Amino acid sequence: MNLSGGPDDLVRKVLQPEQCAGCGLCLDLCPYLQVVEEKVVMIHPCGLKEGDCYRVCPRTPTDWEDMDRSVFGAARADHVLGHHREILFARATAPEIAAAGQYGGVVSALIAFALGRGEVRGAVLTAGAPGEMPRPALAENPEEALACAGSKYSAAPSLRALHEAARRGLEPVAVVGRPCQVLAVRKLETRPGLEAHHLAGRRVALVIGLFCFWALDPAFYAFLRGKAGDARILKVDFSPDRLLVHTDGGLLEAPVDEVRAFVRPACRECFDPTSEFADLAVGSTEYDEAWNTLVVRSARGEALVRAAREAGVIEVKPYPPERLPVLRTAVLNKKLRTLEAQAARGESSHLQLSEGYRRALTGRDQP
Amino acid sequence: MSILGVRLDEPGRSVLLTGNEAVARGALEAGIGYASSYPGSPSAEVLGVLAELAGERGFYAEWSVNEKVALEGAAAASFAGLRAICVMKADGLNVALDTLTALSESGTKAGLVVVVSDDPGGHSSVKEEDSRYLGKVAHLVILEPADPQEARDMTVAAFGLSEQLRAPVMLRCVTRVCHAGGNVVLGALPPGPAGRPHFGRQERYITFVAFHGLQEQRLAQAKAMGENWPFNAYLGPPEPEILVITAGPGFLYAREAVEVLGLGDRVGILKLGMSWPLPEKFLLRHLKSASKVLFVEEVEPFHEENVGYLVACHLEEVLPLALYGKKSRHVAGPQGPGLGEIDVDAVVRALAALAGVPHETRSSDYGREARELVKKMPERELGFCAGCPHRASFWALKTAIALDGREAVVLGDIGCYTLGLTRSGYFLMQTVHAMGSGVGIADGLGKLGRFGFDQPVIALVGDSTFYHAAVPALINARYNPSRFLLVVMDNRTTAMTGHQPHPGLGVTALGEKVPALSVEEVAGALGIPVTVHDPYDVRGTVEVAYRLLRQDGVRILVLRRECALVAARREGKPRVYVDPERCVGDACGCHRFCSRVFGCPASIWDAARGRAKVDEAVCNGCGVCATLCPQGAIVVEGVG
Repeated sequence: MNLSGGPDDLVRKVLQPEQCAGCGLCLDLCPYLQVVEEKVVMIHPCGLKEGDCYRVCPRTPTDWEDMDRSVFGAARADHVLGHHREILFARATAPEIAAAGQYGGVVSALIAFALGRGEVRGAVLTAGAPGEMPRPALAENPEEALACAGSKYSAAPSLRALHEAARRGLEPVAVVGRPCQVLAVRKLETRPGLEAHHLAGRRVALVIGLFCFWALDPAFYAFLRGKAGDARILKVDFSPDRLLVHTDGGLLEAPVDEVRAFVRPACRECFDPTSEFADLAVGSTEYDEAWNTLVVRSARGEALVRAAREAGVIEVKPYPPERLPVLRTAVLNKKLRTLEAQAARGESSHLQLSEGYRRALTGRDQP
Repeated sequence: MSILGVRLDEPGRSVLLTGNEAVARGALEAGIGYASSYPGSPSAEVLGVLAELAGERGFYAEWSVNEKVALEGAAAASFAGLRAICVMKADGLNVALDTLTALSESGTKAGLVVVVSDDPGGHSSVKEEDSRYLGKVAHLVILEPADPQEARDMTVAAFGLSEQLRAPVMLRCVTRVCHAGGNVVLGALPPGPAGRPHFGRQERYITFVAFHGLQEQRLAQAKAMGENWPFNAYLGPPEPEILVITAGPGFLYAREAVEVLGLGDRVGILKLGMSWPLPEKFLLRHLKSASKVLFVEEVEPFHEENVGYLVACHLEEVLPLALYGKKSRHVAGPQGPGLGEIDVDAVVRALAALAGVPHETRSSDYGREARELVKKMPERELGFCAGCPHRASFWALKTAIALDGREAVVLGDIGCYTLGLTRSGYFLMQTVHAMGSGVGIADGLGKLGRFGFDQPVIALVGDSTFYHAAVPALINARYNPSRFLLVVMDNRTTAMTGHQPHPGLGVTALGEKVPALSVEEVAGALGIPVTVHDPYDVRGTVEVAYRLLRQDGVRILVLRRECALVAARREGKPRVYVDPERCVGDACGCHRFCSRVFGCPASIWDAARGRAKVDEAVCNGCGVCATLCPQGAIVVEGVG
């Protein structure tokens, strides 16, 4: 399996076919990759045959089994949900944090907790008011972290803030990101050839991944503005079949189908909606708005959750057993759709999977 | 060579002056009342010197907004009885030509001398126009000095000639006259401009086709004067076998070539100080005695054609006679006949061939030796100076264009920023013509949407060029609706020609403070939205340029930052250096961005250490590289 490549390959395999997830990690590695309206563009051919941009990109060919071994030290047992020690319902205990968060406020609470305890000195987050294009943010204290609460619905290149953290000399840092961003950070930490780089991945002490089934193109914000008119947008949310826009003029709704056109093309071929390589993965419950789903994946994540519970920052309860198949089916279906879509991309596909891995996931041999 | 020599009031003293200074000196001696110019190389220094002396000599001098306006101002002084000089480069003559052709028909009063500098080889020009053709179109007397002494002498004489003929006289200088230094014997300086200007109620200066005949009469009069004019001279044996007909520095080359070849008894040199109209009798006298004629002139075969016609009209008198020069390919510089400059070698080769004398202008090893020598020279390609704001502007524009992704078209014109067509400007610029022409072309392209043309259009002009020639195109774009982004690369000076002021700066050639006319004011009056940004803020410039690129209609982006040379001279410069601990050399994804791609001559590669380095002697301290280095390895110290 040839996993090496350079900027020309990045353009050919990722940028041109609109497979860029917009994670932002390649930005600032060089002066040539730039972003505008969440679109990454190579503005000048640097002439290198191999490059860090290609190495860290979550959408270049990736050996998923090897990632499991590099990050967790073992192959996965669960081919749908990845490594997990516990799957819980969780929420922030502080009502103001829970209220500010999209659902239970667990991510905000944990990041503020880690920053407050000095476990990390900075947190790579995504900022932005509801209904506006989000932007990378680097929080150095709990207040700055809490200001970033709430879901964002487009692909902010927030890993740019990791470079900013390196420039500011902040170490170690936490990263909160979409699954693609989690994978990018893990590639940065584990891929060979990046030792000389100023972003030595070891400095990332905590990775909290979000559940993410798609991100939208920034054109979505103009669409939202059109819906809301002069009203101020307070919160954007999705039910399984409706777009919900809370404004100071009341709740506006639209069928989710109206939004589908804005889904980022790369997201249609995403293999990991639950941040499989994070220390902790957090999502909605699709069941109870006051709680989050919390997947504890690593020992580091487990330790943080334990400490946060002991400090009374979050509370947890068991994941309802009857809900697990719902989550599992949603994730498996996404993976199967992506496998099918990626089959045509051949050696350019970011899914470099062994036959065994593929069989374990699909329950059948490759056609 | 200095202004001290130009102002020296010691008639008969010989001083070292450049051709440009000698022209200025001639104008002083002629007692001018009015001097005007738009800066253009190689004659930019003429008005620079005159402006410095205007106060003490009691005349008026200005940097005009363009050459046409400059000429009209000078004509006004002439009509009112003041001697006037107007200076321009060849490109400027094109701008002023409409007025000039009319002036020669309407006639003038006090001496009006139009100095036009041609730039054979295009040392600092995009063309190598031979202005003599346009002088002929305008029915003007054309004088051609060969060296600084003649530049002074002919300038003085030109004023008298202009007054005798009551028409403008053109003094055509080439780069090797303008920039050459030579001894000039000074004449007397008059006390100041004569008399109070007055435009008599009965005086008329009317351009009217019926006066064409008058123009021809004036030329006939000039031709008669030329027959015995001292600047038309013959040097050599009474009955030469070969006659060299030459003007300008070609005369010096020819004289040296004859000496080198030892052909003084076989070759005569006929030097035309007046290239138009031709002194026909004088010419015919010498043509009759020769059997071969060699034309030595730059750039085009002007004499060759005109004397050739004279020969054709007088065949029985002059035959047998053969003509040689550019058309016969005997006179050719390194690029070929009629292209670029000529030199002594070119004339030696031509004369040796005609005389049948063996001569090797260069040793047989010359080519090899030259190549060896060139290898030892440091490579220095044409590009923006260290710290030039244009480099930052072009990088930002390149980025914005790539981000926009719709293949924006970039149209330029002439100025420092013309280098935007080279590697220094990342090869962005796609058209270069005349002052402001990028705006007119953008105006046209911006109307092609009706045929499906959907690329964004960007026109680039400098600040001085904006005032010179961009405004009519903007008015047209407003009147006949167009869509393009005009980027004014405002470095707060006329940089290319040596930092002359312009209307946007609030100071005149005489150093007077006046209200500045900003680009914003002009655009505001035209109803065109303007955004101003500092190009040294590259990231911000990218954002602004990207946003403006995606807008419709005509809009202006002023990228304003003073020329780095001016700023560094006035303020001193911050120290910029590479921290070798932070620079990771070839391990960085930038692949030597600062020294290889960004292209600032101060950014170099320290091969011994495998790290980037700033050549602090060259650096002007702008610090833009520090904002672009992905490792943050470049340190700027002492920025105010």
